[in-house]
Amino acid sequence: MPAVMSTPRSMELEITGKCNLRCRYCSHFDSPGDVGIDLPAEEWLKFFEELNRCAVIRVCFSGGEPFCREDLRELIEGAVRNRMRYRILTNGTLISEEIAEFLASTKRCESIQVSIDGSSEEINDSFRGRGTFKKAMRGIEFLKSYGLPVTVRVTIHKKNLEDLENIAKLLLDDLQLPSFSTNSASYMGLCRTNPEEIQLTAKEQTRAMETLLILDKKYKDRIMAMAGPLAEAKIWSEMEESRCMNLPSKNYGGHLTGCGCVRRELAVRSDGIIVPCTILSHIELGRINRDDLRTIWRHHPALRSLRDRTNISLQDYEFCKGCAYIEYCTGSCPAMAYNLIGQVNHPSPDSCLRRFLEEGGRLPEIPS
Amino acid sequence: MMHECSLPTINPQVVCREEFDGWAILFDPDSGKAFGINPVAVRIWKNLDGKTKKEDILQELKSSFSEVPENIESDFVDFVRDLVEKGFAGYEV
Ligand code: SF4
Ligand code: SF4
Repeated sequence: MPAVMSTPRSMELEITGKCNLRCRYCSHFDSPGDVGIDLPAEEWLKFFEELNRCAVIRVCFSGGEPFCREDLRELIEGAVRNRMRYRILTNGTLISEEIAEFLASTKRCESIQVSIDGSSEEINDSFRGRGTFKKAMRGIEFLKSYGLPVTVRVTIHKKNLEDLENIAKLLLDDLQLPSFSTNSASYMGLCRTNPEEIQLTAKEQTRAMETLLILDKKYKDRIMAMAGPLAEAKIWSEMEESRCMNLPSKNYGGHLTGCGCVRRELAVRSDGIIVPCTILSHIELGRINRDDLRTIWRHHPALRSLRDRTNISLQDYEFCKGCAYIEYCTGSCPAMAYNLIGQVNHPSPDSCLRRFLEEGGRLPEIPS
Repeated sequence: MMHECSLPTINPQVVCREEFDGWAILFDPDSGKAFGINPVAVRIWKNLDGKTKKEDILQELKSSFSEVPENIESDFVDFVRDLVEKGFAGYEV
């Protein structure tokens, strides 16, 4: 396994728990990260000095909606002063020309990821709320006009499944963005209230995988995915191929090796509590400006235990007994496992190839 | 060109991230450019403070590292020149 870095290379900071929207599948609200407290700017600015001393090179501002903070400029200037570059995850609806101009002036913005889930108002707004499509598109135009590195995240769900081609056309042909990324609505936060109305069934996931693989070929690697149907189409096809050809395992398969984040980054909740990741917000490691970041990173037992998951064999799980893919499987994301079955040290049922096939899913052909 | 008698000082905006086993990356937050350096280069970087002399740095390298190459002096000059060319170090005017 890759070694653990001496300090985190990057940090995701939930600088606010507030948001102007209530998307139906929001992973923040109604999650352990939804703590209802925002720290004053001074606390963040003091913490940035520690990040500087720890040689952290990048922060990602997320939330909630980062642009809900009126003092966001102050925070960005603090990050810049402390030798860091930054990224922003946003719904895009609050971005004005003035904001875009300011972001461009910092020259340290690595990316601004705007959420767009449909090629039309009707589809996008069905789960994100009325008026969000127009506002987010206007935000993207402002960002583009100042030459900022805009990217889009498309969350795939029941209502945009048949719109993926149009979305790709809108983002890559019409808007001429270099790329966009995809995932799918997961059983987290608000999505847990009505998962059957939002999440894809195995059959729908098969359809999404087929479409995305064709688009991936058409747009030559301009569609990214770390999770969701496109990522799974690729990972699972490789697992199936390895199994058929009896190849040796790659990617440290056979153990819970699916998460490398805990070896290179950490996150902070909006109340200043340091956590391994924004979707493992229930694991509290300490508090900013009270506990030493370097000590937490090197010695916190919970973090060590997350890193040591890689020693746990999938053979130990009843869930995986007799599975033909066991040698090639990494168990995927611990946060997803926790959300679904309340255990971090367990393969994630959401990314289980055997379960997907048992539920009627099918691996699509990868277009040549 | 490297100045004959003085050494450049590091650009204070550049971050030296020691990651694993003494290796580090130098990261320029303005350009986003990074490059990896070995433990010997890390020691040189830390000594480019505008005060320490070249001879003293070379001496320290020889006493601290068991496998210092014979042509360390020319490697040193190349590395420092490279830093200046990349804007990671410079001469005060
Ligand atoms: S998904 Fe993002 S934009 Fe939507 S409610 Fe949640 S934090 Fe707000
Ligand atoms: S049962 Fe699922 S999680 Fe377990 S090894 Fe098989 S594919 Fe992986």
